[in-house]
Order: sequence, then structure tokens, then C-alpha cells
Amino acid sequence: MNYGALIFLVGFIGLASSWFGLVLAPQLQLGRQPITKIQGGNDPYPSRRPGLAEQGLQVYRANGCVSCHSQQVQQSGTVFDVVMTELGTNQPAVVAALAKLDSKLTGASLSSLPQDVVRGVNKLQADEVNAAFKDTGAKVAVQIRPVGPDMDWGWGRRATVAADFLQDSPVMPGSQRLGPDLANVGVRKPDVNWHLVHLYAPKSVVPDSTMPPYRFLFEKRKIDRHASPDALQLTGEAAPEAGYEIVPTAEAKALAAYLASLRADVPLFEAPMTAK
Amino acid sequence: MSHNVQSNPAASVNDAEPRAGSASMPVWMLVAVMVLVFGGGLYFDTYGGWFSPQVYAPYRSVNDLMAYQPVSGEGAFLLRGKVVYEQVCALCHGADGNGKPGQAPTFVDSEWVITDNTGRLIRIPLQGLNGPIKVKGVDWNLAMPAMGAALPDADLAAVLSYMRNAWGNKASLITPEEVAAVRAATASRTQPWTAAELEALK
Repeated sequence: MNYGALIFLVGFIGLASSWFGLVLAPQLQLGRQPITKIQGGNDPYPSRRPGLAEQGLQVYRANGCVSCHSQQVQQSGTVFDVVMTELGTNQPAVVAALAKLDSKLTGASLSSLPQDVVRGVNKLQADEVNAAFKDTGAKVAVQIRPVGPDMDWGWGRRATVAADFLQDSPVMPGSQRLGPDLANVGVRKPDVNWHLVHLYAPKSVVPDSTMPPYRFLFEKRKIDRHASPDALQLTGEAAPEAGYEIVPTAEAKALAAYLASLRADVPLFEAPMTAK
Repeated sequence: MSHNVQSNPAASVNDAEPRAGSASMPVWMLVAVMVLVFGGGLYFDTYGGWFSPQVYAPYRSVNDLMAYQPVSGEGAFLLRGKVVYEQVCALCHGADGNGKPGQAPTFVDSEWVITDNTGRLIRIPLQGLNGPIKVKGVDWNLAMPAMGAALPDADLAAVLSYMRNAWGNKASLITPEEVAAVRAATASRTQPWTAAELEALK
């Protein structure tokens, strides 16, 4: 066999090109991204998580939460809504402009604003509608709304982008969704106590949950004179027998703080939307 | 039999190193590879975003993304200014505003840009500027072409406001109304300005 060098070279080029494409190129593309700014302002984004939540990230990692939960919302498109915020003084002109448009909004429903003039249109149509009200004195606002299955689930208002993870180490976007996406779980469930009860007994707050209970993050204690202020407020089957209480460990508190801190809902240049 | 095998020329071949021959590549495979490369190129062009770290699905490019940015507020106004600047001004004055030797003077901390006399600044892009001018102590003698016909009031106001607030500059925003007023006041002027004329403006 005289082809040893050739076979080595082909193998080397094959491995090297995949290293360039899968490791080096993403690193050059995203590796040195600076802290970005919230769209339309000068506020830096993302800010650091509170200390307890930063510890919670490591608990999240240690307990393998990432194998069932993703933290990346995806979007399939972006649409525009045109909302009328003020009627102005020239109602007949507004009603006439509305009549020309294919809008569900009619003159009769103008009493309580803001109301949607049109929803889910493209940029050109939104600009047309906007222009139609230019001389009527009514104020309309064009709103940008990302759409997709994840938005329909209520998992987020925009796609997750690399900037959302800038303060996290390691980054855990996840790849499986045996449970719901957690990119915005802090928006949906801001209450730390809800997370603690959910970690201890998932079925007591979400009846259909398939999540295993993480009871080893909690301590069952006999109540000695005074109940602990940290004790979980449990009801039904999950509640301990009389005279006992369930107290979260430091790990459980950190994990709950981390979950409550998960929110990626500000508009960014690379993920535009109208802030609420 | 054994004698036959020994005399068979094939037997001596078995003793030697096996060798691979060469054959030409089938034409259909060449065509298939070219189709694959072409298809890959189209796919990359559509979804690659040219490796920009700011482009995520479903957006296709930074320009596509621009169309979805909020259309109101100071941020959007300056963003519009940045786009116009990079399309129109950056060719000579540089995307970093530092100008280019022998081509165009700097905008960074330039007294002509951050001036409170916005009328002077607005006139320069509207009708252009010819002849000697001193910028940050450096003498220039060049011709700045008139951009007034190419830029609507809103774009000109946005780009001047961007210049006055980028690269460390800090000055008031210029409104489209200000630009419109200057444009109306100088409507009869066809010749570029000179630095001396602008400095005489109150």
C-alpha cells in the first residue's frame, strides 16, 4: 500500500474542515459578543443574575434539568399589528378611512381605545394602513409581533438569541422538550414559592406534570416549638403528617431563584418586537 | 494441475503488491456534484446571513432585520441615520467617522459637526462645499458634492443627528423641520458653499 500519506491527508482534511465549520466558525461568529443594549434605549443587556440565581444555574446543571427542558424559543416569522391609540377630533374622517380598509374595527367600536385596526399584516400593508390615518388626526401605532408555535404556547414573545446567554456559564440552551421551554419561565411564574412547591411535588400544582419530584432538595423536619418561616405551604397528598414541615435546602432555594430569574423578553436589535 | 497453476501468469500477480488502477469519473456524477454545489450556494445565500452574529431565523440578512425595527423613537431615528451614513457618507468619511487622508476630513469631535449653529452644518450636505476649510486645526482643500437632491429631509436630519451622537460626539438632534427650513431658505442656491461663507452665517 503506497497510499498511507494520501489516506492520512484525506482524513486530516475531513476532520479539520468539520472543526473549522463546527467549532472555529461559531466561535469567530459569536465567541466575543459584547454585552448588548436593549432596543430603543441605552440599557445594557443582559444584566447579571442575582447571586443566588447564579448558584442556582449550577444546581440546574447538576440535576440534569437541561436534558428535559430547553431554554430557546424559536419563531417562524414576524408580523405587524396596527393599533389605534387616540381618535383625535375628526371622527368622520377616521370612520371614512376605516371604511376603505379591510378592518374589523368600525365606527361603532371607536369608543374604547386602544383597539387593533388590523392584525398580522406584513410591513407594506402596515405602512399603508398607517398612511391611511395620516391626515385624519387619529394616532395609530405600528407594533411588531414575532409569531410561531412557541409564541402560541406562550413560551416567549420573541426568538432566543445568543445575547440572552451572555451572563451564563455554562450555556444550557437544551435540545429536548420533554417539559416546557424555560427561556421565559420567570415571566410566567415569577413566584419563587411556586417553584419550590413545584420542585417538591410537581403534580400538586400541575396535575398533568411528568416531572419527577426533587424531594432530595428538601428537608423533612419535626416542628420544634415554632414552624420555620421557609416551610412550604403544601396541601393534599403532598403535605407532611401533622407535626412535621418541609423546608427547602440552600440548593432548592438557589434553583428556584434561578428559575424565577429566567426571562428573555426585552426587544433587541437582532430580535425586534414591540415592547409591552 | 499443480504444474498448470505455477505456470499461470495470474499466480505471479498474487505475489506482487495489489495496485489500484484509475478510471475517469462518470459524467453524471460530475453533474450531480455541480447541482449539489449550486443548491448549497442558493441555500447559503438565503439562510446563511453571511455569518452575521446579528441575523437569526426567520430573518435573512441585516437589511431584512432593519425592516422590522421599531419605526418611532430616538433610537429608531439614529438607527436610520446610521443606515444612511453607511450608504452615503461612509465611502469617503469612513464608517468610523475618522475621514480619510486626501479624501475627506474627520467628523469625530469636529467643530463643524458638533456646532450649535446647525444651519452651517445642514448647508454642507445640502449644496456641498468647495475650497479651503480648517477642521480641528488641519487645512483641507477639497470639494464635497451636494447631497441635497438625493436625501429627503428626514434622512438628512437622521444622518446629521447620527453624526452628532456617534463616535463619542455629543450634540443635540437635528429635526427634519430644521432641515426643511434650511432647504427652503437656500432653494435658490445652486453653487457649493465655501467655508468663509458658512462662518459668516449667524
